[in-house]
Amino acid sequence: MLSQKAWSPYLAGVVIGLLQIPAFLIIETALGASSSYVTIGGLIASWLDPAVLKIGYVARHVAVTAKNWWQVALVVGIALGAFISMQMSGARRHAISPIWQRALGSASPAKRYAVAFFGGFIMLFGARIADGCTSGHGLSGMAQLAVGSTVAVAAMFVGGIATAFLVLRRI
Amino acid sequence: MSVTLAIAVGLLMGIVFGFALEKSRVFEPGIIVGQMQLSNFIMLKVFLAAVATGAVVLAVLHGFGYVKLAPKAALYGADIVGGLILGAGIALAGACPGTTLAQIGAGYRDALFTLVGGLCGAVAYSYAEPTLSKTFLGQGGGKLIFSDLAGIPYWVGALILAAVIVLILFALESWRPWRPELGNDVDGDLTPGASPNKLHVVPAE
Repeated sequence: MLSQKAWSPYLAGVVIGLLQIPAFLIIETALGASSSYVTIGGLIASWLDPAVLKIGYVARHVAVTAKNWWQVALVVGIALGAFISMQMSGARRHAISPIWQRALGSASPAKRYAVAFFGGFIMLFGARIADGCTSGHGLSGMAQLAVGSTVAVAAMFVGGIATAFLVLRRI
Repeated sequence: MSVTLAIAVGLLMGIVFGFALEKSRVFEPGIIVGQMQLSNFIMLKVFLAAVATGAVVLAVLHGFGYVKLAPKAALYGADIVGGLILGAGIALAGACPGTTLAQIGAGYRDALFTLVGGLCGAVAYSYAEPTLSKTFLGQGGGKLIFSDLAGIPYWVGALILAAVIVLILFALESWRPWRPELGNDVDGDLTPGASPNKLHVVPAE
């Protein structure tokens, strides 16, 4: 089981959904990922520009609180868990997924790295405007029947589908 | 709760989260871009199964009074504008903020650029936040949830949502079975001809 390369999406989804139990019972929060980028990004930015900590938004996110650093640990754990799972199954990855050559119409790693950087940039800029991402609005917001989160998830899919059809080539 | 304990809990939960993301293949750029191009539905299946499970879990925990809900406030302008930009980023990154880390763990090198771009995007937003929060992006209602609008208890609404999702998933699975969508090398690459054992040579610069 642990050495399989792929599980049913339903089994994996149930495992992810069950993580709401420790999130709500122990940390008293919902699963989320994008706030941690403000915590780490804000901390790094403060080495170059200490004044960034005077922005209330940054100060709230870098504060040494259980919720802030729980989420940073969560995303670090995601990388560890994926690494362990990959090692156990032997599903090694290439440096760049083969789909990008078709999606970008180019085999240049430099082009892919530039697109990845830009994609990551607007992904987090958008997530912070919306106050949540696929985890916070998607998994947690929809499970809590939140109206705003449902609107945000619909907008995410509209933006993603439009970009995937208009900007990327068919994979 | 102590910060140290919270970090330990977070790490353990993250390892389980990352393990499930890797096993489901939902972190694969081929699966995420394929979902956005409506040619691969594994992402939607993982997502909806996790939402339904979360809804059942919270229906029980909240119904018996063990937990308080923590929904985000409904800020429609921010939800729509932010969601559209986030979605565009997901398509170009071939990842979302959480799965970027799973891609790094699994060995995708471009995900490091996604991560650095994401950190820069979060910092750029931080500098803009005091200004943006004074615009329409900061306007909105309170912590609105559908079950309150419908005048039913949360746990009833959550169980209805879970039941509807299960029906959708059955229909989705009979329309698009998941196994063929895993792709040539469990990477969502659905091009015919490429064999799973074929060596993909990283193109020269």
